[in-house]
Amino acid sequence: MSDSNNPLGNIFVSYRAIATVAYQSALSSYGVVGLAAKNLAEGLVQVLVKDPTLGVEVHFADKAIQIDLYIIIEYGTRIKMVASSVSESVKYQVEKTFGLPVTEVNVHVRGLRISNPD
Amino acid sequence: MSNEPNQPFASDQASPSSCRSIDGQGLKDLVEAGMSWLKVNQQIVNELNVFPVPDGDTGTNMLLTMQAAYNEIAPSHEKNAGKMAHAIAQGALMGARGNSGVILSQIWRGFARALDNLDEMDADLFVRAIAEAKNTAYKGVVRPVEGTILTVVKDSAAAAEKARSETDDLILLLEKVVEGADISVKHTPELLPVLKQAGVVDSGGKGFFFILEGMLRYLKGLPLESSTIVQPLSMMQLDKAVEEIEPGQEVEVVIDFRPHTDLNLENFYNDLSEMGTSIQVGEGDGMYRMHIHVTNERRFDPINYVMGLGTWSKIAMENLVAQMEEQTAGAKAAPKLELTQVEEGQVGIVAISPGAGLSRVFASLGAAAIVEGGQTMNPSTEEILSACDSLPTDKIIILPNNKNIILAAQNAVSVSPKKLAVIPSRSIPQGVSALFRYAPDADFDDLVSEMNSALTDVLSGEVTIATRTVEINGVNVREGEVIALLDGKLVASRSQLDDACIELLEKAGAEDKELITMFYGNNIHKDEVNRIAGLIRDRYPSHEIEIKEGGQPHYQFIIAIE
Repeated sequence: MSDSNNPLGNIFVSYRAIATVAYQSALSSYGVVGLAAKNLAEGLVQVLVKDPTLGVEVHFADKAIQIDLYIIIEYGTRIKMVASSVSESVKYQVEKTFGLPVTEVNVHVRGLRISNPD
Repeated sequence: MSNEPNQPFASDQASPSSCRSIDGQGLKDLVEAGMSWLKVNQQIVNELNVFPVPDGDTGTNMLLTMQAAYNEIAPSHEKNAGKMAHAIAQGALMGARGNSGVILSQIWRGFARALDNLDEMDADLFVRAIAEAKNTAYKGVVRPVEGTILTVVKDSAAAAEKARSETDDLILLLEKVVEGADISVKHTPELLPVLKQAGVVDSGGKGFFFILEGMLRYLKGLPLESSTIVQPLSMMQLDKAVEEIEPGQEVEVVIDFRPHTDLNLENFYNDLSEMGTSIQVGEGDGMYRMHIHVTNERRFDPINYVMGLGTWSKIAMENLVAQMEEQTAGAKAAPKLELTQVEEGQVGIVAISPGAGLSRVFASLGAAAIVEGGQTMNPSTEEILSACDSLPTDKIIILPNNKNIILAAQNAVSVSPKKLAVIPSRSIPQGVSALFRYAPDADFDDLVSEMNSALTDVLSGEVTIATRTVEINGVNVREGEVIALLDGKLVASRSQLDDACIELLEKAGAEDKELITMFYGNNIHKDEVNRIAGLIRDRYPSHEIEIKEGGQPHYQFIIAIE
C-alpha cells in the first residue's frame, strides 16, 4: 500500500512489513504464547522456513489496515481479556509505526498451551 | 478491615509483632488488606499511564481483579491455606481485567500451585510460593517485557529468597519483599525507555507493590482504610479552596514537609481538623503538602504541629479575607460585558472568545452570547449549545474563532432543534472580520454566505513564545524565542517581540493592505504594546493601525491584517 501525501514521491509499505510489526507486538503481549498457522498447508511450509509473520494476515482497504491474528494462549488466563489486550496493543503498535489507521484486528484463538496443569 | 488489626492471627504467634505461619483465614485477611490498600492508592496507580491504548486504567483494573478474588473467598471459612489460595486464584482468573489484571491472576495462580493443599504457609513455603508466582507469570508470555510488573514480581521473589536465610518470621520476610518491590518499581524506568520518556514508573509494578505493602501494613497493625484522601501533589487544586472560605477561618496555611517517620494519615487528619477546616493533604515522593484554613489566633498552630512531625521545606500563609476583598474588587473594576440583545426572528451570534478584552470586542460588534474558550481550553459542545439555547431567537450563527473548536460547534448544529450555522472562523481576526458583515435582520442564508466570504478577506497573525525547540516549515525555533504564525503557519522566530511582529507583517504583505488591528494579550505590559505599535506606525505610515485589548492568554498579539 502507499502513502501519496509525500511531496517527493510515494512511500510503499509491504504487507510483510506490517505483519512483522504485528507479529512482534503480539508476541510481547501478555498471555500470548505463540502464533499459529492459519491452515495445514501454511503449517507445513512453516516446518521448512521460519517465518517472522506466521499467523498474521494483513489486508488493506479504504486507506486502512485490517489484521487477522491466529494465536495460542496460555491456559489459565482469561482468554477474552488476553484477546482484547493483544488486539489493542497490535493496533496501537501498527498505527504508531506506520501512521496508517487500523480499523480491524480480528483475533482467532487457535489453541491453548498448558504449561502448568493444576 | 478487622477491628483488631493488631491481632491478626491466632496460630503460632510468639508475640503480636511476629508471625511464623498463616492459615487459610489469615490468607483471606491478607488478600483483603492488599485489596484495601490498593483501593486507597488506586488513583496514584491510574495516574502512571503512559500508553494511550494498551493499558487502560491499571489501578482500577488491578483493583477489580483483586475484588473478584476476594469476592470468591469472602464467605469461605476454609482453614486450609492451599485450598484458600486456589480459590483466590480462581476468583482472580474469572475477574481479571486488563493486561495487568491477567498478569496478577497468573501471579495468584502460581502462588496457589506452590501452596498445593497444605494447611499452613510458613516462611519456606512463602518463599517458594512467590518464586512459583514469578515463574508462572513469566510463562504467560513468549517475550516478557522487562520494566513491568513482571520485573517487580521477579525482584520481589529474589528479595524473599535472600531474606529467608536471615529470618523465619513472615512479617520480617514480607518487609524485605516490600522493600525489594519498592526498589524494583523505582528502577523500572531504567529498563523500559517509554517509562523514562514519560517520567513515570511502571503502573502495574506499582499496583503490585501496593498490594504487598497493604499486606505488610495489615500484619504490622497499620491502618489501611481511612476517610482521608491523599492525592498526588500534581492533583491538588488549592486555588479552588479559596472559594470555600468559612466564617472565622481567616488564614490559609500551606506547608510542604518531609515526615521523620511514616505519617499516620488518620491521626494527622484528626489533629488538623481540630485546628481548622478545608484540609487537603497531597503526597509525592515522600514529600507531603498540607493545606488548611485556620482562625487568625491559631495561625501558628499547624506550623508548630508539622514541625513536630518532620522537616518542613516551605511554609506559605495568606490572609484569606484580604484576598477575597481583592478579588471582589477586581471583579467590580472590570467593565461589564454589554452583549447585543436580539429579539425573536432576528439572527443571533454566539462567539467563542479566549479573553475578556476580545469578548468585549465581539460583544460591541454584535455578539449576543459569548462562550469562553480558546487554544488550550476548548469549550464543549454542551457549552456552545447552552449559549444557543439561552438566546430568545432560533436563528443563530456560531463563530468558533479557533480551528480546534470548529468541530464542537458543528456538533452543536447537528443536535440543536434551532436553526444553527457555523462560520468556520479559524482565528480571532477571521471571526472579527466575519462579524463586521453581521446585520441582525438580514436573511439567514444570505448572511451565512456573506460572513463566510469575509473569512478570506483577512490575514490572521499570532505572536507567542515557543514552548520547545523545533524546526517547522524551514524555520528554526529555539525554546523561549518569540514566534510568529500567519494563518496558522509558522513564519518567523526571533529573540525580540518587536522583530517578530515586524517580520510577521512583512511576510503577510502588509505593504499592500490598509488596516492592521492588534489585539494584545494578558501577558504583555501596556507600555510594551505602545512601543511596538509606535514602531509599526513608523514603518507603515499610510496604514491605519488599531490597538485593542484582547486579554487572551498565551498570545502576546493576535493581529488582523486587511
